Amino acid sequence: MKTKQKTIALAGQPNTGKSSIFNRLTGSNQHIGNWPGKTVEKKQGRFKCNGQTYNLVDLPGTYSLTANSAEEIIARDFIIKKQPDVLVVVVDASQLERTLYLVAETAMLQTKTIVALNMMDIAEKEGRKFSPEAMGREMGVKVVPTVAAKNKGIAALLEAIEESLDNGKSNIKPKRQVLEGDTLALLNKIRLKVKGRVPSPYSEEWTAIKLLEGDQEICRIMKDRLEPAGWQEIDKIIRNDHTLLVADSRYEWIRKIISSTVEYPDKKNILARRHRFDKIATHPVWGKFMAIGILFVALVAAVSIGYLGMPFLGAVSLVADGTRSLLAPAPAWLSSMMADGVIVGVGLATALSFFLMAVFIVVGFLEDVGYLARLAYVFDSFMQGLGLHGKSFMPFLMGACCNIGGVLATRVVDTWRQRLITVLLIPIIPCFAVWAIVSFIGTIFFGVKTPLIIMALLITTALHLALTSFLLRRIVIKGNRTGLIMELPPYHKPNLKTIWTYAWTNEKAYLKRGFTVIALTSFLVWLLAYFPDGNIDTSLLASIGKFLNPIGNLMGFDWRLMVALIAAMVSKEAALAAIGIVYGFGHELSSLTGLAMVAPPEGGELEALESILMQTISPESALAFLFVITFSIPCSATIGVLYSETRSLKWAAGATLYYTLSSLVAGILVYHGGLLIF
Amino acid sequence: MKIHEDKDMLALALHTLKVGEEAVVENVAGELSFISRISAIGFTRNAEITMLQNWKWGPVIVFIRDTQMALGRTEAGRITVRKKAI
Repeated sequence: MKTKQKTIALAGQPNTGKSSIFNRLTGSNQHIGNWPGKTVEKKQGRFKCNGQTYNLVDLPGTYSLTANSAEEIIARDFIIKKQPDVLVVVVDASQLERTLYLVAETAMLQTKTIVALNMMDIAEKEGRKFSPEAMGREMGVKVVPTVAAKNKGIAALLEAIEESLDNGKSNIKPKRQVLEGDTLALLNKIRLKVKGRVPSPYSEEWTAIKLLEGDQEICRIMKDRLEPAGWQEIDKIIRNDHTLLVADSRYEWIRKIISSTVEYPDKKNILARRHRFDKIATHPVWGKFMAIGILFVALVAAVSIGYLGMPFLGAVSLVADGTRSLLAPAPAWLSSMMADGVIVGVGLATALSFFLMAVFIVVGFLEDVGYLARLAYVFDSFMQGLGLHGKSFMPFLMGACCNIGGVLATRVVDTWRQRLITVLLIPIIPCFAVWAIVSFIGTIFFGVKTPLIIMALLITTALHLALTSFLLRRIVIKGNRTGLIMELPPYHKPNLKTIWTYAWTNEKAYLKRGFTVIALTSFLVWLLAYFPDGNIDTSLLASIGKFLNPIGNLMGFDWRLMVALIAAMVSKEAALAAIGIVYGFGHELSSLTGLAMVAPPEGGELEALESILMQTISPESALAFLFVITFSIPCSATIGVLYSETRSLKWAAGATLYYTLSSLVAGILVYHGGLLIF
Repeated sequence: MKIHEDKDMLALALHTLKVGEEAVVENVAGELSFISRISAIGFTRNAEITMLQNWKWGPVIVFIRDTQMALGRTEAGRITVRKKAI
């Protein structure tokens, strides 16, 4: 008879190598999704051992199990409510004291626990000597030394998992009493008061500890379940803020275990190894130079990887042409729909997926070796100017490549408020495509003065960021500012599998939302541009452009430039293509739906386009157009991921409205300013 | 809270430590969510701490409980430490 599948949960603080252990155990047999209703990623996998299949759940990396963040609530709810058969807690042997904190928390839960003492190689190289058995005895759990990056100790970990399941009851009794002295006395007092009133599956002891710590969720639950008088008695005890006291006791428990089971080298030896490189990498001046150098190399690397997708871009236009000739006998609208509406839209979305994947791989590499934390540190002061802290730097940087990637990268930001603010600011950052438009239009109209215009755009972008951030922080999302609290993990060699998992998780988030949105919007624009009679000049799109003329007039735009702005909502690249078409030059409608890069107007055609643009658009209108594009009417895919990351229609719609308005206002101001100057 | 009687040791805000100076955490102040976060990552009473980087501006880097930790100046200001007698 088949036995019930056992569930193993994997917990651990961030940077303990938890995902390496997960990858080692499950191999390619894993599934990455989201925890229900949350934007926290959920990794699950299966592995077989001696004929038994195990289900492995990777809990979010958390420093503790107090309800400070969505991650922590998810992790503890899973352990307490889903009751996994075995809980494996990963700790970093080279940062043992701090990473054991989670064990001090889980030790009080009823779950069978195994501790994976990971990164043993680094810890031993730094001069520590361990006695895992003694440590296990002290903590009352099985301790297995591992080096997941080198696949060491994984077999022993599996063995320990099997053993703990076989025994029914493990022969080592968990030493659950972590707290002592005054803390324990307070705890017992609370325990008496909640006796018989704690809802399952919480235990009375655990509930009492969380009350003592002032855990918001547990306080709320217990307040509801007790009579006001009973709650007041507890409230009187916990009002004195014992959070620190509980943490003190846990660290005291850890200190005792470590002092009797681990031999430490002189702290100076560890520091000499660890801080050596950081003296430059986190230096306020040299650190920034170094960061710029590393980022430049990273960009080159990303572009080179992205180039692998270039043959694909060529293939798209071939496939589109092939479809067109294949469908020649069919009605004209059908062939245009397939070639220009569907294939090209999907092609653009796919091309972008190559580019993003390349960026994700490079960022994943920087994250895995430990450099991202240094980057956040070095640019913290810079981000402070926007009322944010260093962790928001990376999302901004990625946003400068592609806003979609920027929004997805905000997952590293630790507090929800700061993350939300960062997400909402990303559309201001001009992406690569914006600069392509600026240099194209700029060169035509302003020639050698284009760099000045770019400077002006950068300065206004910075002002826009500062103003919008101010409005968001002071009026829209009020709350306390949180500063930087960040671990600088020891550098280590990159692990391909971890990098791949990082990249693929982000890529999937893009594919799920961004891809479909781009493909759909581009189809919609085709639809509007084709109907009713296949001629763009008399199409619905043109009618919309003409309908928007009153707005356009404020900036001296005719309907054609308004059409280009609508196309910019598909993607910024599309705006350039749209200009080509509505002025009578692009080859096919296909370039309108996105792939301007494939078939830009060439040679004589380009010159003709330039001269017609010069004739029909005034310089002040051209300048206004550049501001409108840079001031970011957000592209649809960015709004798509913004929605899926915030799970709020309100923020997505609000951002769209705000940025559309702000870009039009900028355009109008610049146009009228331009009228005075030119 | 127990107060150390030793007159040689002075209670200071963490960000006033100079690079290389060692100290022991004496207290952490602030709102509940801050204390909860900061104590979980090791800033609790009696934790030994070494200042690794401290310029006049920007976040500091300290070594605490086997970990290099970066802290904003405001955050560091909420942590009181006592210098170790050398």
